[in-house]
Amino acid sequence: MRVNPNPYPDLLAAVAQTQQEINTDEQQISTGSSVNVPSDNPAAAAILVQNADQTSKDDQFQRSSGSVQSEIQNADSTLSSVITSLQQAISLGVEGANGTLNASDQSALATQIRGIQSQLVSLANLSYQGNYVFSGTATQTAPYSLTPSSPSGVTYAGNTGVNSVTLGDNFTLQTNLPGSQLFSAPGADMFQGIQDLINGLESGQGIAAAVVEVSNASASIDTQRVFYGNALSQITAQQTYLSGETVQLAQQENTVAGADLPNVISNLTTAETSLQATLTTIGQTAHINLFSYLK
Amino acid sequence: MSSLNASLATALSGLMADQGAMATTTNNVANVNTPGYSREEAVLVASDPVVLQPLTFGTGVTLQSVESIRDSILESQIQQQNQGQGQFSALTSALQQTQVNFTTSTNDIGTQITNFFDSINQLSTNPSDLSLRQAVLTAAGNLATGFNNTANNLTQQQQNLDLSVVQTVGQINQLSQQIAQLNGQISNLENVGESAGTFIDQRTQAIDQLSSLVDVSEIPSDNSITLTTGNGAPLVVGQQSFQLQTQPIASGLHDVYSQTGADITRQITSGQLGGTLQARDQEIPAIKTQLDTLASGLVTAVNTVQTGGFDLNGVAGTNLFNPPPVNGVGTAASLSVAITDPSLIAASSDGSVGSNGNTEAMYALGNQGIVAGQSPTNYYSSIVFNVGTDAANASAEQTASGLVLQQLNDQRSAISGVNLDEEAANMVQFQDAYAASAQVVTTINDMMNAVIQMSTLTG
Repeated sequence: MRVNPNPYPDLLAAVAQTQQEINTDEQQISTGSSVNVPSDNPAAAAILVQNADQTSKDDQFQRSSGSVQSEIQNADSTLSSVITSLQQAISLGVEGANGTLNASDQSALATQIRGIQSQLVSLANLSYQGNYVFSGTATQTAPYSLTPSSPSGVTYAGNTGVNSVTLGDNFTLQTNLPGSQLFSAPGADMFQGIQDLINGLESGQGIAAAVVEVSNASASIDTQRVFYGNALSQITAQQTYLSGETVQLAQQENTVAGADLPNVISNLTTAETSLQATLTTIGQTAHINLFSYLK
Repeated sequence: MSSLNASLATALSGLMADQGAMATTTNNVANVNTPGYSREEAVLVASDPVVLQPLTFGTGVTLQSVESIRDSILESQIQQQNQGQGQFSALTSALQQTQVNFTTSTNDIGTQITNFFDSINQLSTNPSDLSLRQAVLTAAGNLATGFNNTANNLTQQQQNLDLSVVQTVGQINQLSQQIAQLNGQISNLENVGESAGTFIDQRTQAIDQLSSLVDVSEIPSDNSITLTTGNGAPLVVGQQSFQLQTQPIASGLHDVYSQTGADITRQITSGQLGGTLQARDQEIPAIKTQLDTLASGLVTAVNTVQTGGFDLNGVAGTNLFNPPPVNGVGTAASLSVAITDPSLIAASSDGSVGSNGNTEAMYALGNQGIVAGQSPTNYYSSIVFNVGTDAANASAEQTASGLVLQQLNDQRSAISGVNLDEEAANMVQFQDAYAASAQVVTTINDMMNAVIQMSTLTG
């Protein structure tokens, strides 16, 4: 049988293919990924798109959690100060309710409590990054202002709105309580209690009842503080979860598209050896034919 | 009874035949590296004998013809395979370029979609913050630019492919002309009984080239060949070639017309021209349509939420993106952000400045089936999958048809290629035969001399 007398096209094709393999291996080694263009593995490329999306979303959830966390921490510690102030007011009220004090002493106590009232207004007007934290969603409006004509001594200019922020694929967290609910809830109205206490001390009437009002308001705020405490622990838990998911996503990316380096390097070595062998063959077969032997 | 003169003539025929055979070998050796050359073989036959009763004597050898050795069935298989190879090479190289747009990077559409929704999530933590609002506008602008760039790259690629269509048609026309001319030379020679091997080689090679450009059907006729495109538009009939033409159509791209003016663009399915047309008219438009679907689905949903909320001034929101055309066609290429003032983002659901209700609604779109029933990212990932699959398939087809073609070319080379060992052996053989015939002439000469001397003796 007659054989193909011209092996060069095949040999060159083999060289080209081996070089292609070497290029692919080298690219995989340099990028660490086996999927550098979609056609390398279309299904993996599609998964990588979703993986990158989820990874980026998780990073964003972490950032958003951080923002929300600081605001809530501020709110929480402010509430703690509010309760401290209320405790002071209560002590002063209890002192004032003691029948041994004369009107002038009581009036002095009332003045002290007016100071506390101002303090409370200032605390309730907490602002974080340019936003009033306790004015509902009317965050550009200071929620409370001292208003002597008002029965509670203050007016509330905020609203009852609350915000929730998505901090995970299936996790949305309410981030605020409006002042109307925290400080001015009917039956637990802190400012009403304080105003009643001031009025009581100034008139000598109903001091004990006013102290009860303030105590109720303080208890109510203490109860509602749990909301912020819970929110903070939920955020911490979510941050842990997100970190875990980020690690999982990185693992998935590696499983789907990571270059199998030992294998790739071994392939590369094989391809280089094969290239050398092919080139040697081309060099050696070049000169052998019958003409060389004819004299 | 035979004569010495007759023997001399017989010896002479040997010398002549061996010279001819030697010329054939020489030509083979000279053309050892000529592309498309088929080796030639000297066909030697014994000359008709003479009958001198009661004996029959041979009269030597005749170099009857010089034949090119080729397998026409194999050649037509090669031409067939060339068409596939041309088609898939063109398609592969086009799709390799296309898929670069869909490779994950810092500015591919998928990343921009994610960044857009991420910016909304951040805004949700502080909806009245102007810098966060500006970040959303920037991300929206980047998203629009991502769509614009990808769509424009695809359009640019279509235009480049279109240029290639026009050039390929030019090459086809040139080859048709060449083949028609060769047809003429071949039939001229064959009509007078001459061998046209060299011209046939050239024609075979031209047809090989032609078949890698366009799907060609070959109809052999006497001493000639008729070539048509796959759908029957003539390219070459005998010594006449028919030129294909290109004309711009409404889209600015060129369609291909037969010489008689019929639009045959849709009928060209293989060869480089077929592959280029497939990329230009099917693959890339399909991807653009998917991009338009993605862009218009996303933009429409975002605008709907945006117009349902309130901006920083408590005013009802207006479109964030300029609305897509009614049928969606061209959305990706023309997508742009409609507002430049960050306070116009309708983050609020109730008109209060600090409400993030509408921001949350907009963020939720990222996980909703707003693009043909899928979330934007999932839809985009299916585009990536489609593009990758098409590119991988074309590349696999190209490799497969390349291997078959290589195999067929090996077979052709085994039959038609010049083997230097064989030629060397033939050369020795013809040289020996020539030397032998020459020796015979010398011997006859001696015998003649003997006869002449005998006459002298008697005379």
